[in-house]
Amino acid sequence: MTRMRNELVIIGGGIIGLFSAYFATELGLKDIVIIEKKYLGSGSTFRCATGIRASFTTEEHITLQKESIELWKKLSKQLGFYYVQGGYIWLFRKDEQLKAFSEYSKLHNKYGVPTRIITPEEIREKAPMINLEGIIGGLFDPIAGKANPFGVVYALAEELRKRGVKMQTRTKVHRIIIENNKIKGVSTDNGEIEAEKVLIAAGYGSREIAKTAGVDLPLRNVPHHALITEKFREAFKPLLIDWTYSAYIVQVEEGGFLMGMDVEERPNQPLYQRNDFIPRMARVAVRLFPWMKNINVLRYWPGYYVMSPDSHPILGPIEEVDGLFVATGFSGHGFMMAPIAGEVIAEWLVDGKTKHKIAENLTLRRIKEGRLIHEKAVFG
Amino acid sequence: MGKEVKKNPIIICRCENVTLDDVERAIEEGYTDLESLRRKLRIGMGPCQGRTCLPLVIRILARKLRKSPDELIIPTSRPPINPIPMKLFIHGGDDEDEE
Repeated sequence: MTRMRNELVIIGGGIIGLFSAYFATELGLKDIVIIEKKYLGSGSTFRCATGIRASFTTEEHITLQKESIELWKKLSKQLGFYYVQGGYIWLFRKDEQLKAFSEYSKLHNKYGVPTRIITPEEIREKAPMINLEGIIGGLFDPIAGKANPFGVVYALAEELRKRGVKMQTRTKVHRIIIENNKIKGVSTDNGEIEAEKVLIAAGYGSREIAKTAGVDLPLRNVPHHALITEKFREAFKPLLIDWTYSAYIVQVEEGGFLMGMDVEERPNQPLYQRNDFIPRMARVAVRLFPWMKNINVLRYWPGYYVMSPDSHPILGPIEEVDGLFVATGFSGHGFMMAPIAGEVIAEWLVDGKTKHKIAENLTLRRIKEGRLIHEKAVFG
Repeated sequence: MGKEVKKNPIIICRCENVTLDDVERAIEEGYTDLESLRRKLRIGMGPCQGRTCLPLVIRILARKLRKSPDELIIPTSRPPINPIPMKLFIHGGDDEDEE
């Protein structure tokens, strides 16, 4: 039985938990324990599409993501992991798509994200081997990019270890211990761990854990699917989105093409492999890049988008329990949002408030009070 | 991949060019489960999907941890297991735009 009082226990060793721990140490917290039920990154982090963008459709997402991108730039240099600002190109096949995204582009520009509508010729300049048949235009997001989740997680974990953060893997948290509406600790496979503050950053698993504290997190776990091909020389830098098929293709650090597309799924199902995913995905990929027909598919895997009611994260303190915080429900954007989410959470943990005022719109309270802020640009 | 190049390195993973030294160093750095070793070194991420290297890595890790290979958690295998060209998923193998 571990009997020690920590300043902070973080439940979940994914990208959100790790970045939260990183910024908490930056702000001076000392005794931090991260508890992970499997291995670091083992949930949605290592299954993600690796993209990072600010081209969203709400002020909350656009402004926070703009700051997240600044942190990605800074931390990739400091910690030494792969991050490339290669942009995103959204591809459109219908006039109404182009029209809707012209409006979104105005919103991006208003909040300082310099996206613009581009012609098929400009698309070809940025992705030279593309088949433009049927594509009438695109939206270019020049500040978007990509990173390697494995590189980021291991660079962060090594830095956290140096800073004295403890990481317990293969350990499950059973419940949160509360006394007089105040956090006392957590109960785990390895006994009780005392803590002044607890952050739940466990993806959909956060729901079950929060329940033990009497908190209802309205999350849905929706399966998504992705595959990766063998390595190829650099063909294009941006992540491409074919909006008609809700599909994306990105070339990752080692050269493989990582791609996914939205296929109809019911929430809260166990992850399983669908026989129809690779054929459907291959058809979209080969339509965009006919030469891909000869490229080998290496691996196909499913993963979850942990959806909140309005596709924005549930971030910040839980008012009912003194010392309890959550960071979950990122709705498919957890990897890209992790640096800013970690910074916001750390400010809340240490100062009781965040400098990023707009993040106050993302607490659980908005959902209880029905102040939802719907994000429309979700794909994959 | 290997930072120091030895004269006669022992290759464990041919697809990703990972040596025995790389594996042992990573284990010493604390990558003591197969899922993390795989992602740290990219063992089993290449075209062979771990068929060559994984049995070797299991033995090295088991010996280092003084465990039986049966006690290690084996990484998940992903379809299609063998690398398969995209076109075979689309036309059932017909290559209609080539002679």
